[in-house]
Amino acid sequence: MTALVRAEWLKLRTTAAPWVLAGLAAVVTALLVVVIFRTQGGTVAPSSGNGPPTFVGSGVPQTAQQLRNLAASCYECDLFALLIGVVCVTADFRHKTVTAAFLASPRRWRLIGAKLLTAALVGAALAVALLAGTLLGGGLALDAEGGSFAALARQVPAVAPGVVLVFALFAVLGVGVGSLLTNQVAAIIVSLGWFLVLEGILIALVHGAARWVPSGAAEAAADVTRGQGHLYGLFTWWQGALLLLLYGAVFAAAGSAVVARRDVT
Amino acid sequence: MNPAIEVRSLAKHFGHVRAVDDLSFDVAEGRVTGFLGPNGSGKTTTLRMLLGLVAPSSGSATFGGVPYRDLDRPLCHVGAVLEATSFHPTRRAADHLRSVAIAARLPASRVRAVLELVGLSDVARRRVGTFSLGMRQRLELATAVLGDPRVLILDEPANGLDPQGIQWLRTFIRYQASLGRAILVSSHLLSEMEETVDDVVIVSEGRLVLQTTLADLASTAGGAPGMRVRTPELARLSAVLAGYGVAARQVGVDEVVVDGATPEWLGPVLAQAQIVVYELTRQQNRLEEVFLGLTHVPPSVHGATSPSPSPSPSPSPGLTS
Ligand SMILES: Nc1ncnc2c1ncn2[C@@H]1O[C@H](COP(=O)(O)OP(=O)(O)O)[C@@H](O)[C@H]1O
Ligand SMILES: [Mg+2]
Repeated sequence: MTALVRAEWLKLRTTAAPWVLAGLAAVVTALLVVVIFRTQGGTVAPSSGNGPPTFVGSGVPQTAQQLRNLAASCYECDLFALLIGVVCVTADFRHKTVTAAFLASPRRWRLIGAKLLTAALVGAALAVALLAGTLLGGGLALDAEGGSFAALARQVPAVAPGVVLVFALFAVLGVGVGSLLTNQVAAIIVSLGWFLVLEGILIALVHGAARWVPSGAAEAAADVTRGQGHLYGLFTWWQGALLLLLYGAVFAAAGSAVVARRDVT
Repeated sequence: MNPAIEVRSLAKHFGHVRAVDDLSFDVAEGRVTGFLGPNGSGKTTTLRMLLGLVAPSSGSATFGGVPYRDLDRPLCHVGAVLEATSFHPTRRAADHLRSVAIAARLPASRVRAVLELVGLSDVARRRVGTFSLGMRQRLELATAVLGDPRVLILDEPANGLDPQGIQWLRTFIRYQASLGRAILVSSHLLSEMEETVDDVVIVSEGRLVLQTTLADLASTAGGAPGMRVRTPELARLSAVLAGYGVAARQVGVDEVVVDGATPEWLGPVLAQAQIVVYELTRQQNRLEEVFLGLTHVPPSVHGATSPSPSPSPSPSPGLTS
């Protein structure tokens, strides 16, 4: 299994798609950092008397929640981890390299297992890289504008495990989706369509759907609000993580079953 | 000696298409076996079933008694070349080989060795998308021999190669056989493989037609000589020959083959009947014709390059020698 994971890792890193996806994730994260920096500065003082709430303090993130939001801003990029998982499977089918992969590993579930493991590790690594980049970039910006690098750094341990877990599980989910829909273009369109459009519509239409959809489960699992998720209709972090794991397991199992039966002609 | 590959009652149906039907044959160690049949006769499907890529509808295919998917370290037992395009175009050739070597737990030195063997060492760092068809085919062969396998399976490896490429391939295959490997190589052209194979397995429409040695097939082919005649008087020629109880087989607009006839016999016959002859040549039944005959190509197709309404009485089956 280790050998297959190493081979899959080599295959991933010797093509452009995963690097492009990781690069896009970095760009989006940078944009999110800027947005949070600009919109979540200062603190809100409770309104005195009948007046509106007032902002106090300097215009940079400084409360624990603001700093956690900043530290975890990359969490919105979990979709890129999912797409890396999708590519990990579909690239093999698209370029027919799956023939070579099955010849080396004729017990196909082992190959899918290796892909699940590889994708999970790559997803986790992407999360770590984005978190580190955010800490460095956001921290330096904070320092420059009168905030505190150290204060941001103190919030990282609070959000990092959740974000890393979510990225790993999304990559696993991606491998499952890619195994079910081995056509690369179809798998990517379906993934984007679901996470960017359909999920939002579903949440708007069906009361209480927010906690059940993969993004809701991910949001709960990442637990950026430190236990306040229920205010947004979410599960607790471990329930969210479990649900996300369940999604990953169901899709991976269904995908492996499909791939294992398929004639490769 | 146990056969290297045993195929037993193998069958595959794609919906209503019987791609492979009750096929059984053996491949011997240390020999090159040509797996021959026209396009669509089920060769690729058979080879993919051998390798566990396609699930058989029934029957079995084993290597020394073991199905491919139960082989311990399969790439060290069987190497295969299936298609000329199964590479990621932006991956470098060396990285492709390394990924396979790592998956098969082979040392990195094997990658260098096979690159050397197929003469791709100098372009190993190039992306496979920039490779010519011939270079890709050599990379496929390099991948197949990475694990130093005892059995090689090659599906139409000569397809799309230029004459030098085919020559190189023949040398490569003969060299692999000289190492004692069993080689099963498919082709829709016997002529392509004539100089390379020891044994032949001939299939047509998914069924076995014949398994024999090339030597035996060649002696069958050599045993039926005849004369080829080009004449504007096909009808009269047929009538004259019918008088001797001999049939003429039409092969072109103005051409017939008189099976079994010798020049010493046919010359005087034509002179006596005063038939105009444009051309009179010895007709050696070539291997390719035997092959075409065996794979159920109807006789009319022989003249398919220049079809014409038959002016002569329809030719009866040729005289056998
Ligand atoms: N995946 C498939 N689905 C349906 N029919 C197929 C499939 N693969 C092959 N066939 C059919 O099976 C027959 C044998 O094909 P193939 O094994 O490719 O023959 P060959 O390699 O001898 O040219 C053909 O009629 C082909 O159309
Ligand atoms: Mg074929």
